[in-house]
Amino acid sequence: MNSATIILWVIAGVLLLFSWKDGTETVKRGGVLAWETTKQNGLLILLAFIIVGFVNILSPEELVRTWIGPNTGLLGILLAELIGMFLPGGPYVVFPLIAILFEAGAGFAPVITLITSWATQSFLTISFELPFMGWRFTILRWGMGLVIPLTAGIVAILFWG
Amino acid sequence: MPSSFKKYQIHFLLFIVILILSVLAYTQSGWDLVGDGFVQGLTILIRELPLLTAAFLTAGFLQALVKKEFITQWLGADAGIKGILLACLGGGLIPGGPYAYYPIASALLKSGAGLGVLIAFVSAKNLWAFSRVPLEIAILGTTITIRRFLITFLIPPLMGIFAEKLFGRRINNIREKI
Repeated sequence: MNSATIILWVIAGVLLLFSWKDGTETVKRGGVLAWETTKQNGLLILLAFIIVGFVNILSPEELVRTWIGPNTGLLGILLAELIGMFLPGGPYVVFPLIAILFEAGAGFAPVITLITSWATQSFLTISFELPFMGWRFTILRWGMGLVIPLTAGIVAILFWG
Repeated sequence: MPSSFKKYQIHFLLFIVILILSVLAYTQSGWDLVGDGFVQGLTILIRELPLLTAAFLTAGFLQALVKKEFITQWLGADAGIKGILLACLGGGLIPGGPYAYYPIASALLKSGAGLGVLIAFVSAKNLWAFSRVPLEIAILGTTITIRRFLITFLIPPLMGIFAEKLFGRRINNIREKI
């Protein structure tokens, strides 16, 4: 079991204790609400995880490596933002991949853009955002977010070349 | 649009994505790889079940516990900058992947949190992510991590403020249409 799981169980436990203090009615309501969320989103989560599985086995590392080069300026940043959106999986998968790119000579600014784009614009994350937050929130957040990786890359160029 | 289609449109969209990925896998190495995709997805799902369970319980109890007045005062549309900063802190501290924090964000949305607060929460989770930083340092090095963190540090609160100013009054519409 990883640390994220343990921390979340601790948070759930603390909330359960507070609900208990509030009365058994609150505990019951919390349980029902948790179960309803699970029921509502169960199938969607299954579908989202199948997508994660496919992205994992399709191994786009090779493609990524051929697309991004060193000292590519603004174009490199734009490309890095686009690639970041398609980067698969969590930090355990993505950080080693980015480290390989950096060692292979990818520019510093594109790397910053890449990390930022993966963090805020990833399509894989959207498979989870859509069911829980709805279309409107997702489009709004994602749309506003489009400028973040670009800005981060440009700031990186300005400060560190 | 018929209501049943509306209810399942996200299912449909995800299904299409799976279909496209299956075709990609098939053209890469045939049916075996398609099967691998499903097996891999289910394996990760089963591995993440303890985390998912904790996330859903947290979301449920949070919704049951948090009083409307608290949300309105601290996280509602009128909570202002303090709500946004609080959301940033919460987002930066909450561990786990999107299947862990979106149920929680969804619970806050349903309980009456404002748009700026929610955008700040998700953005801070994405960019501050304190629990991810040690891994980032270990794999990408101190220089990249510190510079990346400094460059993006102000973005979550700024996103929250802009979102609230520009689209804040649409929050009820967003809440109804989940």
